[in-house]
Amino acid sequence: MQPLDYIAAGIQAVIFGPAAFELLGVPIPLTLVMVFAGVVTGILVGATPGLAGPMAMAISLPILISFFGYNVEALLPVLGFLIGIMKGATLGGAVPAILFNTPGTPDAYMTTLDGYPLTKQGQSRKALKVAHLSSVSGDTFSDIALFVCAPFVALMVERHLDFPEKTALLILSLSFIAAVIGGSPGKGLISVALGLIAVFIGGGEDFYPRLSLGTDALAGGFSIMTAILGVLIVGAVLKEYEDLWHRSNLSGAREQIVDHGDQRLSRAEILRIAPYIGQSSLVGTIIGALPGIGTTLAAALGYQLGRARYARRRPEGAPDFGEGAIEGVAATEAANSSVSGSNLIPVLGLGIPGNAAAVFIILATDSIGGFSPGPSVFRFSESVVNTELVLVFGLFTAMLFANFVNWTFGGAFMRAATVMVKVPKRTLLPVVLLLTFTAVYAQEPSMKALWFTLGFGVLGYLMRKVDMSPLPFVIAFVLGGSLENSARQAFSATGGDPYFLFSSWISILFLAGSGVTVVLALRQKRTDSTQA
Amino acid sequence: MYRLNIYIGSGAVLLALVGLFLWIPQDTGTGLIVRVRRQVSIGDALAPTIAFTLMAIGGALLLIERRKPVSTEVRLAPFLHTGALVAVIILGLLLMRHAGPGFLRIADLFGTEPSEYRLLRETFPWKYIGYFLGGATMIGGMASLSAGRLQARTVLIASAVTIGLIALVDLPFDDLLLPPNGDY
Repeated sequence: MQPLDYIAAGIQAVIFGPAAFELLGVPIPLTLVMVFAGVVTGILVGATPGLAGPMAMAISLPILISFFGYNVEALLPVLGFLIGIMKGATLGGAVPAILFNTPGTPDAYMTTLDGYPLTKQGQSRKALKVAHLSSVSGDTFSDIALFVCAPFVALMVERHLDFPEKTALLILSLSFIAAVIGGSPGKGLISVALGLIAVFIGGGEDFYPRLSLGTDALAGGFSIMTAILGVLIVGAVLKEYEDLWHRSNLSGAREQIVDHGDQRLSRAEILRIAPYIGQSSLVGTIIGALPGIGTTLAAALGYQLGRARYARRRPEGAPDFGEGAIEGVAATEAANSSVSGSNLIPVLGLGIPGNAAAVFIILATDSIGGFSPGPSVFRFSESVVNTELVLVFGLFTAMLFANFVNWTFGGAFMRAATVMVKVPKRTLLPVVLLLTFTAVYAQEPSMKALWFTLGFGVLGYLMRKVDMSPLPFVIAFVLGGSLENSARQAFSATGGDPYFLFSSWISILFLAGSGVTVVLALRQKRTDSTQA
Repeated sequence: MYRLNIYIGSGAVLLALVGLFLWIPQDTGTGLIVRVRRQVSIGDALAPTIAFTLMAIGGALLLIERRKPVSTEVRLAPFLHTGALVAVIILGLLLMRHAGPGFLRIADLFGTEPSEYRLLRETFPWKYIGYFLGGATMIGGMASLSAGRLQARTVLIASAVTIGLIALVDLPFDDLLLPPNGDY
């Protein structure tokens, strides 16, 4: 098959795949229906303070797998739904930020700076339109970067990296994540170490399951669902509840502000915000491609660069950044949304998840089977059909459709999602908790799994409590098995050479990069502490 | 936060030392390197050894990170509040696990035909008893704890939401088991 044939096959897998239902005799593709449902769910979840896209992805994944089963045909509908949530949530996060000064997702915090002043000036609908346009533009730009870059990254890796280099690359990724997340390389390393220890329990090649303390309960190890949903979701619920306890009532009466004036977004205004969207899209896309650096940093950097540009070109009489400049909303929303496509570059190209949403994409493919993200999926084989490559192009088609839904219906859904802000957190969070337990049980029908989930939840809470990001834990848990297998294979392939990690310049470079990343982060931390 | 970092750093180093010198040597089948028929391969102890070493390095880095001028104290009250929340969740999970079989035993005492829960786990109302009671306890208990009082309205909402979840999760999906039915 030629590359164009693969692209066509991917599109056909979506369009002519299983039908969800028939409308006037026309079969409606299941994958497209799932993408649509995912986008709507994502917008609603993003618009609900206290909930986030990864939470919805975590809860829906085991239920979807139970429904669709473990076969390759389930991959596109399930991944389509998850990607829909990922894209919808970034759009929905802007809604409470603009209307109620409450960011729906952490990355939407910067949106409040100009979005809420616009609402106070009676321009909330215009602010939502700016957020919609910027968010979807950034997302689309990022997807195009993914489509172009991921195959090249994968081909480079496939051509130049053998087992020792792949092991070194995994070490570099984990060091990078440990060093940059949470602002403390020490805590990042502890978080990574905890994730690795957790995944190594009950594993190994010997008959005796290592680190199991001789118990049956630990002999099987911890399933990926219990660890990840526990640390990410249950931990977040416990911490949110504690924060709620601090504030007496979050869902109290809100100030009602009535819109007035022209709410349309004129062509001149679109032209005014276009450079800010372009600049932030580029920044967000670059940041998204690096593992571990999330949307919050992208939004902050996009906003700062936008502010610098605005200082030079501010129209006379226009409000400054922080006082209701539409350019501020555009800069932030384009930056945080343009992370979502490019963060799949390390996932699809290297099999390395860069953020929580990407973890659930890897988890879905791992659970369902038939698709192993990594360099081999981009092998353009002419003689034998590479079904994984067909699936990748199917996934790209689903992403384009999700963008289409966001472009066309996203604005209307954003306005409808304002009702979600009124849902009381006090009731919502335990429901999320119960749904999480139900989802874990759907995947692993044993009460033991729920106890483990609760245990990991307490660990996730404690990590948040001491300012330690749980994301390095999660990524280390996901990558730990691959890291050990890769090291075992590299060791065997080099004939038992104990210095296999130093067998080539590329792996030495990766290892040096790991050390330099941690040292630089530590120096940065010390500089920040001195200046504080 | 500086003092807290010292505690976390020291704890991490201590845990790493326990792991490296007690847990791994006592609780792994093979050492760092294994020789079988002149073939050398990586043993089961190597990966956890690296993980615990990373933890020791992380702890040490935390100890040498420079002191911030403003220190934040960790208060006990939020921990107690979260402890109470976890207790409610544990109570909910225990009810989820044991309420169905418990009610069956009570029914047996009242003269119904003796039966096993395993045989009834897919029949109404048995399949829902544990999930309903455990789920409603979890939702109602957490919401009440957060509000500082128990209201009839909260109990009603918790019950309605749990029934809603049963309808959402169990009715459309035949293969999906609600807790605790997969354990029987």
